[in-house]
Parts: sequence; structure tokens; C-alpha cells
Amino acid sequence: MILDEDQVLIKKTLRGERSAYEELMRKYEKKIFSFVIRMVRNEDVAVDLTQDFFFKIYTVMDKYNFEYKFSTWAYRICYNLVIDHIRKNQSQVDSLDDDSISPRDLFASENVSREDGFKNLAREETRDYVWRVVDQIPLKFRELILLRYIQDLKYDEIAAITSLPVGTVKNRIFKAKEILKQEMEKDGMLV
Amino acid sequence: MACLSDEKIIALGEGDLNAIEASRSRDHLLVCPACRLAADRYRDLNQSLSRPMFSEPPADMIPHVLQHLYPALPRYTSVIAAIAASLVFLITWIYVYFDFSSSSLIQALRLTADGTSSWLVNIIKAISAVYNAAQAAFKAGNALLNMLLPAPLATVVIAGSLLVFSGLLVFLFIGSMRKKVHAKKS
Repeated sequence: MILDEDQVLIKKTLRGERSAYEELMRKYEKKIFSFVIRMVRNEDVAVDLTQDFFFKIYTVMDKYNFEYKFSTWAYRICYNLVIDHIRKNQSQVDSLDDDSISPRDLFASENVSREDGFKNLAREETRDYVWRVVDQIPLKFRELILLRYIQDLKYDEIAAITSLPVGTVKNRIFKAKEILKQEMEKDGMLV
Repeated sequence: MACLSDEKIIALGEGDLNAIEASRSRDHLLVCPACRLAADRYRDLNQSLSRPMFSEPPADMIPHVLQHLYPALPRYTSVIAAIAASLVFLITWIYVYFDFSSSSLIQALRLTADGTSSWLVNIIKAISAVYNAAQAAFKAGNALLNMLLPAPLATVVIAGSLLVFSGLLVFLFIGSMRKKVHAKKS
């Protein structure tokens, strides 16, 4: 069986090589932290959850099946960890099952200035704007956008991680993009 | 052909349409400015999403995790120091217990030390002084115990003290090991 780079690091970690696990953490820390912080929208909680994730991965590493991609397995653990936290603190976040979307309510945060309406912003500014809008959309759409673009996963991988049908994953990502486009048009970000 | 739905435009951008549908949709985009505008907007959106903004985790996060998962092991220097201390303790005990101070080798060392003044001699003198002090303390303690207690009981007390001291060392060692294992699991 040919092992990929991650799997070699796992083997070494299981043999007790500290440097191998450090390398594995360095490889994933930014993606995991970016995903977590955008899900929970609180830096202290995100740091705690990211650390918990690395502890968890280390603890259950001996149960990892080398036939599957490490990243998918790890993201699933991360996703479950974050969702568990969110469910325990449900009052602080929007509902996971809320199907109704009211874009007007999405942008109450002062981070996104609706009045600005700058036109023809530079590409970088547009990108900053888009990602700030992503932070405001309901969790059920946000989580899929984050898995798709922060973690760079395919639809079937997202479906495996979230336990949703592939069709639902696609539909929600399409819907999320429609919301994002509508908001950008309203703010004059797309001309 | 009717205008393309948002869903179809997104699917086209994601390469998610089959060849025939994709071809028809592209043909439509050529002749429909409204759909072309919508497609351009989704393309811009996709470009922004495809270059995600990553958040920098705190620099001390990974060292913190590693510190918990891999508790610091004793360094080689401390292991060597512990072995050396044990050897010194053992030799002292043998020297005191079997009263080697009057042996010819020790006497010869002392005589050599008295006749010279190098640093090695000073070390030998210092060690010898420590041995003598330990021996004197042992003898004094032994005499005191023999005075206070009958001979077999004094021996039992000495043996008991040694056992308690050893037990204390073992207890401290196991305690520190359990702490490390607990930290690793947590």
C-alpha cells in the first residue's frame, strides 16, 4: 500500500515521533483554525476548539483507517467537534435547521457596512467583502461554503463529512451563492 | 431558449452540467446579455471564494498542544546526575557499613593526599571527609539506638527507616509518572 505524505506522518506519530505530529499540525493548523473561527465567530473559543481537535486527533489516531484520506477523516472530526459545541451553545448562534433566509437580518453586524456601497472596489477588497458576508450567512450554508473553499473539499467529501446527501450539499452551496450574489448586488459590489 | 436559472449558471461555472446542457447554456450566454451579466457576477464571486482569507492561529497554540501530548522527559544530564548520585550514595553506604576506613587502600590514598597538593588530592580529601562525617553520624545514631533500645529492636528500627525512605522515593517516582500519563491522556 502506497502511503501519502499525511499517512507517513501518522505512521511516524504512532511510532512516537513528536516532530511528525508537529509537522502534521503545522500543515493543517491554518485551515482548521480558519474553519473553526468562521463557524463559532469567537477567537478564544476557536483556539480552544482547535486545540481540542489536535488532542482528539492524537488520541484516536490509532483508529485511523489508512484506506481513506487523512484530511477527510480529520475534517469530519473537526466538523463534529464544532457542531457539538454549537449545539451546546445553541442560543448564541443561528439555528442549524432554519430554512427561512432573511437576507436583511443577516447583515446586522457592524462588520459589514451596507451603506458604503463602494463601486468598482479592487479585487482584494471585493474578496475581503465576500468573506465578511460569508461570516454572516446562516450556519447551514456557511459550514458548506467553508468546507468547500477553506478546506478545498469536493461535494462528495463534504457529503461524507456532514452526513448530508450530495444533492443537498450542492443545493445549499448554490443557495449560499445566490444569497452572496444578491447581497453584493445590493451593496453595489457587482456592477 | 428561455433564460438560464441561477442554479444552472452556478452549475455551469462549477463544471457540474453534462456536456449537452453545458453547450446549450454557453450558446445561450452568447446571445443573452442578462444571463451573461449574471454569469460574470457568479464568476467574480467564485474567484473571491476560491481565494479564501485564512486566519492566523496564535503562535503558541502548537507548542501548547505538544507540551500536553509529549510531557518533558528527563534530560540525559539529569539521568547521568541521578546515576552518579546513586553511585556515590551506594559507595558511601558500603564504606560506612563495612568500615573500610582502616583498610590499606584508603590509608594509602590518605597518605598520598597528605603528601601532595593537586586539585585531585583536594577532591579525595573532601570525599574522605564526607565519608568520615557520614560514618561518624551513622556510628553515633547506632550507638544512640543501642543505648535506647535493645540490640534486635535497634536493627529493626534502622531497617524500617531504610524501608520507609525507599518507599517514599518509589511513591514520589510513581506519582510523577502518573501525572505524566494523565497529562498525555488529557
